[in-house]
Amino acid sequence: MSYAGIRDKLARQQTVILDGAIGTEILRRNVTWADHQLANRPEVVRGIHEDYIRAGADVISTNSFQLCRRALYNHFRDEAHRRHIGARDLDERADKLLAASVRLAVEARARAGAPRPVAVAAAVTTLEWCFRPDLAPSADEARREYREIFQVMKDAGADLVLLETVNSIGEARAALEVAKSLGLPCWVSFVCDEKGLLFTGETLAQATAALEPLGADAILLNCAPPDDITAGMKELAPHVRVPFGAYPHIGRFDPPEWMFTDEYPPARYREVAGRWKEMGARILGGCCGTTPDHIAALRTLP
Amino acid sequence: MSNILFKEPVFRLWGYNPPSLMATYESIHARLEKGGPLLLDGALGTELVRRGVRWRKHGLLTDADKVQQLHADYAAAGADVLRTNTFQLNPRIFLNVFRNREHMRHIGAPGLEDLTPKLIRTSVELVRQARAQAGREGQAAIAGVISPLEHCFRPDLAPPPEQAAREYAALARSFAEAQVDFLLLESMNNLAGARAALAAGRGAGLPVWVSFVLGPEGELLSREPLEPAVKEMEKGGADAVLVNCAPPEDVTRALGRMKKVCARPFGGFAHIGRFSPPSWKFEFFPQFTDTQEWPPERYASEAERWREQGASILGGCCGTTPAHIAALRAHLGSNGRERSS
Repeated sequence: MSYAGIRDKLARQQTVILDGAIGTEILRRNVTWADHQLANRPEVVRGIHEDYIRAGADVISTNSFQLCRRALYNHFRDEAHRRHIGARDLDERADKLLAASVRLAVEARARAGAPRPVAVAAAVTTLEWCFRPDLAPSADEARREYREIFQVMKDAGADLVLLETVNSIGEARAALEVAKSLGLPCWVSFVCDEKGLLFTGETLAQATAALEPLGADAILLNCAPPDDITAGMKELAPHVRVPFGAYPHIGRFDPPEWMFTDEYPPARYREVAGRWKEMGARILGGCCGTTPDHIAALRTLP
Repeated sequence: MSNILFKEPVFRLWGYNPPSLMATYESIHARLEKGGPLLLDGALGTELVRRGVRWRKHGLLTDADKVQQLHADYAAAGADVLRTNTFQLNPRIFLNVFRNREHMRHIGAPGLEDLTPKLIRTSVELVRQARAQAGREGQAAIAGVISPLEHCFRPDLAPPPEQAAREYAALARSFAEAQVDFLLLESMNNLAGARAALAAGRGAGLPVWVSFVLGPEGELLSREPLEPAVKEMEKGGADAVLVNCAPPEDVTRALGRMKKVCARPFGGFAHIGRFSPPSWKFEFFPQFTDTQEWPPERYASEAERWREQGASILGGCCGTTPAHIAALRAHLGSNGRERSS
C-alpha cells in the first residue's frame, strides 16, 4: 500500500500535492472525451498521469469520474429495453473500464519512477450527476453500488478512494462507510457554492461532524471556482480535525466539454492556493481546467 | 422594430410565403396523399460520430462543414426529406447538468441560456445549403426535428404537460422562424409529450409528422398502446404518423398494426445495431455498435416489407448511412415509383 507515505506526510503537517484535471486535460490535448478514452487511447490517459507525477503530484487520481454501471444504464428505460437495443458488453463495461483506469495510473507511476511515494486514488463521484443532489439514489442503493465500484478498483491496485464533487452528507456517508469496510483510506471532497454551503444547503461543519467519526482520512473541497472554495474553506477550517484541502476548477463548464480561460494562470493559481495553505490546508491540487503546469506551480509553494 | 419583420409568422400574415419553400412541402404532401413512397434521410448523429466529429453542440459550431456534407450526401442518395441535426437539442440538455439556472450562470460558459435557438437556426441553414449543394432545391423538403425534452429513452423523466407545452412551443417557434418546411417530432416516448409537441407545432403554423419510439414490447416506450396514440395524433392534425428508433423487425411488426388503424399516411425508420451509451452522464449520445449486422441491402429488403404493410414514408434512424438510403432509393425506384421488376 502506497498510502502510508502520504499518511506520514500529512501526519508531519507537510503539504501533499494532488494531481490536476484528467477529463478536461484529455480535451485540451485535442482528444475526445468519449468513454473516458480508457479503451481507445490509453496512452493519452497514462501520459497525463505521468505528466502530473513529473509535475510533482504525490497523489494521482484515476480517470473514472462518473464512470459506473448506473451511468450506462441510465440511458435506457429499464433492463428489458437495455437488453433489447443496448450494446452487448454493457453489463461488464463499467467494471472493465474502472479496472483499466486504475491500471493506467499504476503503470504511469511505474514509468514515471518518482523518487517519492506516489499513491493512486480511485476517483469516484456521486452515482447520479454531481451537481444534482435531487437525483441521488437511496442510501441502500448507494452502498450496494459503491461497494461494487470500490472493490473493482481496490482489486486493480488503488491505494485510496477519493470521493469527489460530493453534493450531500448522506451520499458521502454511504460511500465512506463502504470504503472503510473494504479497508481503503478515504478522502471526501465536497462541491460547495459561493456561500461555502453544500448543494443540499448542509454546512461543512455538519459534514465534518458526520464524517470524521466514520474514519474520513481527509476532507476537501473541489469543482467550484477559487472564490467559492475560499468561502467553503472559511466554513470548513474552524471545524475540521482531519487533514483538509482543496482543488478548485478554473475556466467554465461548457457542456459537454470545458471552456479554458486565462483567468488563473499557474502563478495566480499558486497564489490563491497559498492562502488556503495559510488557512491550514495540507492537500492541494486542481480540478477541471487545471494542467500539469498548475500542479508544478503548487509544488513550489513554501 | 425592423428585426421583427423578418420573423416568419409576420411574413405569413402579410401573405409572403417564399414560393419554393411552400411548394416543396405541398409537392411532398401531394405525393404522400397518392400513397408515396417518400424517402427520409438516414442517421445524422451516429454518422457524424462515425465520421470523426467530436460530439459537442451537435457539431453545429465546430464541424459545420461535415454536418452540411452529410445532409448533402443524403440529398444525393435520393432522400425526399432532409432532417435538421437537432435530435435531443433543447435548453434542458445544458441546464440539466447544473444545479440550477443560477449555477449555470455562475460556472457555465457564457451564452448557454440562449444557445438553443441559435443552434436551431444554424442547423436549418446547413440543411438549406446542403440541399442547394446537391441541386435538390424545390424537391427535398426540410424537416425540423424536435424530440422529447428529456432523454428520449426515459419517458419517466418527461416534464409535466403544461411545462412541456411551453418548451415545445419555443422550439417550434424557432423552427418556424428558420422556415423549415415542416416539423418531424421524432422518438416521442409518451402520449402526453407527443400531444403537447403536436399542438405546439400546429400552433407555430407548421405541418407536423409525429414519430414514436417503440419499446421492446412493441408499444410506446411509455408502455402506452400504439394504436390509440396513432389515432389521436391523426385527430390532432398530424399529416403523418411514424415509428422509429427500434430494430427493423420491430418496425415491421408495428407497421402491420398501424396499417389497420391509420387513416392518413404512415411510415417508419429503424435503427440498426446496438446503442452504446457514453460512460459519463450527459444527454443522448449518438453511438451505435454492431451496425454491420444490417448492411444496406438487408435493410432495404426489410423496408420492402414496410412498403407491403402500406407504409408510405421510409428512412433510417441511428446507425444507418447514406448507403442505406441509396439502397432504399434503388429498391423503391426513382421519382418515388416502385421498381417494376
